Amino acid sequence: MADPRLFRLRVVFVKQGRLAMLSHLELCRALERAVRRAGLPYAVSQGFSPHMRIAFGAALPVGVGGTHEFFDLFLENYVAPDKCFDALKAASAPDLMVQSCSYVGHSAPAASVAFPVCTYRVELSAVPSCFVTPEEVTVTRKKKEKILSVAEFLVEPVRFDEETPSVAFFALEAKPEGSLRPDVFIKSCIEATVASEGAPADLHVLTLTRIGQRSLSGEELA
Amino acid sequence: MLKTDLWPQLEPLLARIERPARYLNREWGCVYKEDADFSFCMVYPDTYELGQANQAIRILVNRVNAVPGMVAERAFLPAVDLISLMREEGLPLFSIESCAPLSEFDAIGITLPHELAATNVLEVLDLAGIPLRTVDRGEDCPIILAGGPCAFNPEPYAPFFDAVTIGEGEEALPEALELIARMRAEGALRKDILRALADVSGTYVPSLYRWRTEEEAQAAGSWAEPVVEGVPELVVKRVFEGFAESNAWEPSIVPYTEVVHDRLNVEILRGCARGCRFCQAGMMYRPVRERSAENVVNAVLRGLSETGYDETSLTSLSSTDHSQISQILTNLNSACAGKGIRVSIPSQRLDSFGVEMAGLVAGQKKGGLTFAPEAGTQRLRDVINKNVTEDDLFSAIDAAFSAGWRRCKLYFMIGLPTETDDDIKGIASLAQRAYERAKANVPDDQRGSIQMSISCSVFVPKSQTPFQWDGQISPEETMRRVRLLRNSVKYRAISVNYHDPKTSFVEAVMSRGGREVADWVESAWRRGARFDAWTELFNQQAWLDAAEELGLVPEKVAQAVYDTSYVLPWSHISAGVSTRYLALERRRAGEGVITGDCTFGKCTGCGVCQAVGVDNQLMESRAKEEVR
Repeated sequence: MADPRLFRLRVVFVKQGRLAMLSHLELCRALERAVRRAGLPYAVSQGFSPHMRIAFGAALPVGVGGTHEFFDLFLENYVAPDKCFDALKAASAPDLMVQSCSYVGHSAPAASVAFPVCTYRVELSAVPSCFVTPEEVTVTRKKKEKILSVAEFLVEPVRFDEETPSVAFFALEAKPEGSLRPDVFIKSCIEATVASEGAPADLHVLTLTRIGQRSLSGEELA
Repeated sequence: MLKTDLWPQLEPLLARIERPARYLNREWGCVYKEDADFSFCMVYPDTYELGQANQAIRILVNRVNAVPGMVAERAFLPAVDLISLMREEGLPLFSIESCAPLSEFDAIGITLPHELAATNVLEVLDLAGIPLRTVDRGEDCPIILAGGPCAFNPEPYAPFFDAVTIGEGEEALPEALELIARMRAEGALRKDILRALADVSGTYVPSLYRWRTEEEAQAAGSWAEPVVEGVPELVVKRVFEGFAESNAWEPSIVPYTEVVHDRLNVEILRGCARGCRFCQAGMMYRPVRERSAENVVNAVLRGLSETGYDETSLTSLSSTDHSQISQILTNLNSACAGKGIRVSIPSQRLDSFGVEMAGLVAGQKKGGLTFAPEAGTQRLRDVINKNVTEDDLFSAIDAAFSAGWRRCKLYFMIGLPTETDDDIKGIASLAQRAYERAKANVPDDQRGSIQMSISCSVFVPKSQTPFQWDGQISPEETMRRVRLLRNSVKYRAISVNYHDPKTSFVEAVMSRGGREVADWVESAWRRGARFDAWTELFNQQAWLDAAEELGLVPEKVAQAVYDTSYVLPWSHISAGVSTRYLALERRRAGEGVITGDCTFGKCTGCGVCQAVGVDNQLMESRAKEEVR
């Protein structure tokens, strides 16, 4: 995969506002189009159906935003990062705005697995009196039910903000064999909280945002 | 001016429905004009995925936004999951850009893309809280306009629309809207605005005409009797005379969610004069007007850089007929080389030149090719004036399969006038021989990969065509012929697909009906019919029950065969092609006599150039292609 003649540009962007409702596929397509509008000298794969050489970070579910999302774009020629930034800025929708551009080495881990530990910020519709984190979450995938153990994924427990008590933070780790989706996790928490009468029945998520991504060794995405 | 923003009410619903990206707005390329005095909403009466790439929506929104003081926004019918939630929550239909209720716009335009969209028109109006019928609309209600292909027989929609634009809307729509804006500013009454709209060339205002009885109509030569002095007896379509010279770059909105035709569409020519006798588009979009190779190539390159698309399609009714198509494709290929950009042409002309052109853009990836012989025997192809021989098809097959294609789809129509069982068997025979030709052009070890399919639609008689007097065969007879075809195909490698005759039947009624059919549409809609073009949502029972309630015999509308002297319910609407010419063409069909294409040879006397005051505009002579 690594072609030493190419330049690996890491682009950090936001996914916010209404566009938090894009699916991962819709987001990828929108970003590729922004790259083409920006006129960057992107590399093209060989083969029967040539396409842009681009690699996306870990996917976000529909409805979940991100303050530091990224993709790696392979360029044919070196273009100064600030030039790339300006070109992408002019070609990006405000709610998918580029934040920074920098080159990374070819030996860096692939974009989709580079930062498996993600921190989320959730804003709830009300302040729960007693918030419950369930031990297990049942997910349905392709009509098959699967029980996930929360402790395996939850690396930082749900912690409420002292100044804004309807806002909480937590971190989940994606495992090679699977992961617990943040929206599914928080929904289970709300169900458990409501069931134990820790909050009124209409408690729901107002916004859910990924605010940080880091590697297992703790290296943060810039 | 638009006042209400429904987004706060819409947003919470989006977490409960599929693909919310359809309703978000903020797409790349949207236009916002917050200080416009006059607002217009352009509606596609189906979901965003089907309507977003529609050319009429794109062009007309751009044209209206170009008028100072006017804003045009888009609206689509939401999918059924959101419609249900909206009805529960009392949320009315909204525009995409401002998320404003449709009822706040000064005027609304609904395009009529095909015959099965009629109940969706009513769903749009009802969801918007607008009375379905023009007679029930009050002074503060938007003016409801229509246009598009089905406007060429507007009667099944007549009571629902305040005015209908016949033909191309580039100039007609802004003219109509400027008139509405001016009169509204002066405080004019609705009825006076409608009366004035009838004076805009190409505009039909149904409420100004009384619907005659059949007997009266046959005696008078028209079903529609003007009840107000000075309104035209015959409404002739509009043609955008400046099309050929106008910039081929039509600014385009780039959707987030995947839609049909999700690519940069560049219209390279308009019209087709091949003269297939069943084809409404061929009559509707005459005369033929080509844009220059330079105009097209510049538009594609600019469009790609402004939209970021990785694919462009050179659209028209017959793109390989463009006199400079070879030059266009060659230039685009070299300009797009190495960028992962695909160039496509929507339909292949049925000969080796068509395949050569397809080869110019296919690169290494060769998907499937689609050819449309339309009929299985030469006799029937002569009847329908599809000037294509078996040798044309076989030379196209030779060229395609030796160039590396492995998949081929053949389109046919079932139920064409004069069709016999021999013509049905001829479809099987033609496809089998095409398959043998394909095999002969492919190395032995790759023969297993050859795929050939027969795709059949049911003939729907269309207004403004030589076959407008012909009836559709019954759904039962269609199924008999489909079975005959299936039994006649001996090779297992050839698959046979066909279109559901139950929906084609409703199409035929909508295509040929008079004003009485409007009641049928409304009754069917009240009984739950909507999204009729979606096979899984088609509600046949609603249509049957509605017919029974009204005492309407839809079979008579769809299946009756008339002499060419019979006055049809759309005789007050003209596509510019004279009724005399249509009747002549119908007679030639019966005799199996073919008629040429005036863009390759001499004038055939259809009358459109005289009627609309525009001639064919070709960049170069097309005839040279024929002698290649």
